[in-house]
Amino acid sequence: MTSTPAVEDIVGSEYEHGFTTDIESDTLPPGLDEDVIRAISARKGEPEFMTEWRLKAYRHWLTMTPPQWGEVDHPPIDFQAISYYSAPKRPEDGPKSLDEVDPALLETYEKLGIPIEEQKALAGVAVDAVFDSVSVATTFRETLAEAGVIFCSISEAVHAYPELVKQYLGSVVPHTDNYFACLNAAVFSDGTFVYIPEGVRCPMELSTYFRINARNTGQFERTLIVAEAGSYVSYLEGCTAPQRDENQLHAAVVELVVLDDAEIKYSTVQNWYPGDAQGRGGIYNFVTKRGDCRGARSKISWTQVETGSAITWKYPSCLLRGEGAVGEFYSVAVTRGRQQADTGTKMIHLGPNTSSTIVSKGISAGEGRQTYRGLVRIGQRAANARNYTQCDSLLIGDRCTANTVPYIEVKHPSANMEHEATTSKISDDQLFYCRARGLDEEDAVSMIVNGFCKEVFNELPMEFAVEAQKLLSISLEGAVG
Amino acid sequence: MSEDLATWLGDMTPSDGPAWLDAWRASARERARALGVPGSKQEAWRYTNPRRLFEQPYGDGAARLATEALAPLLIPGLEADRVVLVNGRYAPEHSRLGALPEGVRIGSLARLLAEDPAAVRPHLGALADDATALFPALNAAGGADGLVLLLAPGARLERPLELLHVTTGETPTLAQPRHLIVLGEDAEARLIERYVGLDTATAHCTNGVLEISLGAGARLEHERLQREAPESFHLSTLYLCQQARSHYQGVNIGLGGRWARTDIKARFAAPAAECVLHGLYLSGDGQLIDYHLDVDHGVPDCNSVELFKGILYGQGRAVFDGRVFVAQDAQRTDAAMTNRNLMLSERAEVDSKPQLEINADDVKCSHGTTVGQIDPQMLFYLRARGIPEATARRMLCLGFAEEIIARLGDEALRAQVATLVGDRLEAAPLD
Repeated sequence: MTSTPAVEDIVGSEYEHGFTTDIESDTLPPGLDEDVIRAISARKGEPEFMTEWRLKAYRHWLTMTPPQWGEVDHPPIDFQAISYYSAPKRPEDGPKSLDEVDPALLETYEKLGIPIEEQKALAGVAVDAVFDSVSVATTFRETLAEAGVIFCSISEAVHAYPELVKQYLGSVVPHTDNYFACLNAAVFSDGTFVYIPEGVRCPMELSTYFRINARNTGQFERTLIVAEAGSYVSYLEGCTAPQRDENQLHAAVVELVVLDDAEIKYSTVQNWYPGDAQGRGGIYNFVTKRGDCRGARSKISWTQVETGSAITWKYPSCLLRGEGAVGEFYSVAVTRGRQQADTGTKMIHLGPNTSSTIVSKGISAGEGRQTYRGLVRIGQRAANARNYTQCDSLLIGDRCTANTVPYIEVKHPSANMEHEATTSKISDDQLFYCRARGLDEEDAVSMIVNGFCKEVFNELPMEFAVEAQKLLSISLEGAVG
Repeated sequence: MSEDLATWLGDMTPSDGPAWLDAWRASARERARALGVPGSKQEAWRYTNPRRLFEQPYGDGAARLATEALAPLLIPGLEADRVVLVNGRYAPEHSRLGALPEGVRIGSLARLLAEDPAAVRPHLGALADDATALFPALNAAGGADGLVLLLAPGARLERPLELLHVTTGETPTLAQPRHLIVLGEDAEARLIERYVGLDTATAHCTNGVLEISLGAGARLEHERLQREAPESFHLSTLYLCQQARSHYQGVNIGLGGRWARTDIKARFAAPAAECVLHGLYLSGDGQLIDYHLDVDHGVPDCNSVELFKGILYGQGRAVFDGRVFVAQDAQRTDAAMTNRNLMLSERAEVDSKPQLEINADDVKCSHGTTVGQIDPQMLFYLRARGIPEATARRMLCLGFAEEIIARLGDEALRAQVATLVGDRLEAAPLD
């Protein structure tokens, strides 16, 4: 439990409004209308087509209503109270040194084994130029450029590669898709653009963490990854350490496009501020993530570890269009305290011989509420489609909730689809076995939970997996006994 | 919205019965009007559109069934007492009740409401209390008759009771039977509920409601065989409430109708009760068979099993929407929900949604769904033994169905269902 009150001090309510009410020269006042959209677009120096694109989305957004079907409770969001553009903050806004940072937060970093310079970055301390990823990042950039890989911010891409942006932006998640995706299309601040040319295997794992200017991309992030025929990329998003952020609403959009024989592996570790013990002030993480397997034998693999945010609402999905396309979804989600998560995936089988695998592990502790919501649809032309779904829930404590809401729609006789779900608690036998071998209860629980999640952790890139395991142990600290 | 419901609600005329009954019906009427026809945006109607039920007029269904017409509808060899309803109305001339044991009361709802309303009042609408369901409200507003089965504590039905619904007539009729089944403490009964449609070309509609209440330690075996005529609509909502240590076993066989929707809402009111729901459905050309289960574990130590299997061919569609809810205090709940589907044709469709909502930690809950086709290896095995392919396919389908058929309580019923399923598969284009 040590981390919760600590994080509260750092990222809690005091930041919630503090930065936005104080109107600086490069922060737009709260509110949303067409002028605000034009202003955002102008400040980013976007070409006309982008401004129009944003406005079209905004006009559509006005006709929509917030979704009501999720198993999540939150007060209505006042969209006019949000400031939709704020230039990257100046270093002096944050704490001046680690001494000003809550010691308990540092303790959490310590447990995660985060190097001191990274701790500073995470806690929002002004980072000195040496670490500012410049050296690391420049090396990365050179290697990537040699391979022909484009890895830059969306704003940069709009200028440098307008044709690619025009072709792909919004082609997987159109602005009409859902309320939050539509809002994102209208006001998105920045994000990542990745383009892997034909036949290229990206020489390294890409991570937002190492991209220059990645900080403060803000609450309406947009990611677009295009993998041309025969290419491969592994993309890592997020970070295991609790992150400081003053924006409560996060409505990101991620679009993946995969052509023939290409593969994108997308891994996420999400650990935003979950709010205090009453669930106040935590991040609302309303994300639309979708991959389009356009090419034959293309593949998308989503892996996510979700431990943070007051509310998580996301369904990384795969449109399996190409013949023999493969979709995978591996997820570990932890809710504790008053956290709520409504998460899952959609696997839409459209092409023949497509296959998908879903492994979802939900852990609910304290008063956590968790819902797995998934859709597997096997279309009329998806001959020999194959799906395997497993969603398991682990309950720790008698006040938590675990729901499973799978939708299975099959329109082809040759489909083979299996769905299994179980809900249970850590058995006394398992605990007894571990304790009889000298482990204390907390370690035993941590070990059992890690075992429960192993299938998912195995899908994470190595160093991420190690961090995720530690993160999980820390998340569940104090949740047992 | 309410114009759509006009044909169903008709004009409200005060009955000769007690005032509370009229008030109860009027309130159901208002509820139905307020609810209107559900659309696909409503989660419970996501896969089905009931609109066409309201697009045709219905006659009053006052048809009579000739005496000789009954015999072919009976199940050979079935030893049972019998209550027959024709177009939703009690038909004493076809019913046959032997000497009833002490503490057993069997009768028509309409008659009891006229003669002894006090005996019915505590049970009527006691369980069917959800404010959001349109069809039970329509039934309450417009239904007039049905079966009342009351068993005093310790009473036991010696023979099964067959409840036979016959729908007949050349113009569409609307039958809205309402059944009350109340078993006192440690009472035991077996109920065979059947629906048979006679006119193959008429789009009759049945909208039934059952309220079943099981006292502590009571046991009910309940077999439901739905064989409406091919163009018919069939709706049935079963409300079940179980007291401590009671046991309910239901077997639902869904074969007939153009569109057949069955809702089962089961609730445990006291610990250590058990509810077992089995189902088998066969959906062929243009049919939609639709099951919605809602099992509410509100108290600790109860078990529930839901196993539904379906065979789909031609343009058949099936929906399985199951939900198990476990309340915070319902520790040591054991619930297992399974839905298995065998798809035999290109144009069939199955939508399955097995849902768990769990708020307690010491539970064992699982659900599983499969959709698949006939195993080619099994087919090969049979063909290698000289069995023609079409026969082999039918054998394998029947084998798939057998797990549920075997749950039926007696040989006569099992044979009947096996024959019906076999005949349907015989006629089906198993390509």
